[in-house]
Amino acid sequence: MDLALMVAQLGEGMIVTVEIFFLTLLFSLPLGLVISFGRMARHFPLRTLTKIYISVMRGTPLMLQLIVVYFAPYYVFGLKISASYRFTAVILAFALNYAAYFAEIYRGGIESMPVGQYEAAQVLGYNRMQTFCKIILPQVIKRILPAVTNETITLVKDTSLAFVLAVVEMFTAAKQIAAKETTIVPLMAAGVFYYIFNLAVATFMEYLEKKLSYYR
Amino acid sequence: MKYLEIEHMKKTFDNLEVLKDISLSVEKGEVVSIIGPSGSGKSTLLRCATMLEQMDGGSLSYLGERAAWEENGKCVYAPKQELKRIRKNYGLVFQSFHLFPHYSVLKNITDAPVSVDHVSKAEALERAEKLLLQLGLEDKKDAYPYQLSGGQQQRVSIARALALQPEILFFDEPTSALDPELTGEVLKVIKELAKEHMTMIIVTHEMQFARELSDRIIFMEGGVIRQQGTPEELFGSPDERVKEFIGKFQA
Repeated sequence: MDLALMVAQLGEGMIVTVEIFFLTLLFSLPLGLVISFGRMARHFPLRTLTKIYISVMRGTPLMLQLIVVYFAPYYVFGLKISASYRFTAVILAFALNYAAYFAEIYRGGIESMPVGQYEAAQVLGYNRMQTFCKIILPQVIKRILPAVTNETITLVKDTSLAFVLAVVEMFTAAKQIAAKETTIVPLMAAGVFYYIFNLAVATFMEYLEKKLSYYR
Repeated sequence: MKYLEIEHMKKTFDNLEVLKDISLSVEKGEVVSIIGPSGSGKSTLLRCATMLEQMDGGSLSYLGERAAWEENGKCVYAPKQELKRIRKNYGLVFQSFHLFPHYSVLKNITDAPVSVDHVSKAEALERAEKLLLQLGLEDKKDAYPYQLSGGQQQRVSIARALALQPEILFFDEPTSALDPELTGEVLKVIKELAKEHMTMIIVTHEMQFARELSDRIIFMEGGVIRQQGTPEELFGSPDERVKEFIGKFQA
């Protein structure tokens, strides 16, 4: 097998990996914020429910969650599962799982805000929405950025778990080629790819941190 | 006209009666200082008056408009929209400033008028420039709070409150977080406001300042007003406790 063919096959997997990564972030970042609101709600049942949700999502393997999300329509609703649902199930499971982690990061950030910021905003007449969006959230983002970077880097590596639903992302592609051609090269290439991807993620996050370092 | 009127205000935290029965009214243009030992309820009084804290009993009105009153032994507040309007009557300057760290000095001062009062940007900017000049901060408008000294930060927070053009300004120990040198520059600003007949209610430990500036001084202890009167009356008080307290600060 020549190098060009190998790269082409790995490349297809790479695209899937990148898709899983961005789609997961796209859905889990806002969903996490919503869940963190539930987690901090005054309403007891809502608070307890989100607490249980987070506990389960963090306490069971993502691999198992992928399988559950994939087979749930069949076992729970008796629906026929189409092949195209596999990718959707991957994104759904990833987003639900990562949202739980992000929710706790948001909560940590929001609860670390000094109460004086809320009081100043209240006396100045800002309503709750304005207080959150203009005063609290921008400062929370700055505070949680390092924790979000950690989670995002883990996500890059977690994308390989999509193999349990037979979604051929890069790691699966590399394994397949490695087995067929009895060579370790594609696996090494995959490793290099993950590393470069994460280097890019870390560099971008560092750039964001720098951008927000204009105040203390 | 009574700008602020508090009648029989009560506040309890976990069975601890912090405010027992406070009645207090402030006329337009009056400068009232509240002094007293720590734990006497001064700050709680201010927090209840500015509605950062809900009182448990009594009534509160601003410029004749009722914000809270007692009904069947319970304290009820006016509807949200009314409270929003009533809140516009006053501003509050905090002990530890609570400026918005992610906003520049200018933005700290202009943002509330624009996003809360819907003042035009140009008008808000004009107000801010004027206030910055008045408070000696004209060269700091692009700075961020962390780049300023405590005294400068406190002056910015005064400007931020004034930009909304309140009728009454509350100060909660405005110089307690500052060293003596910086205290002076903040007190000077407050004195200038007094000259312009701004209605002010100031919780402070600066006895000399309170004496020079106030039309009336209130001595609080144990959740009640123990004595109130002109600075002369307070500083020449026959009450042993008041004498002792004021004496400690003059030593």
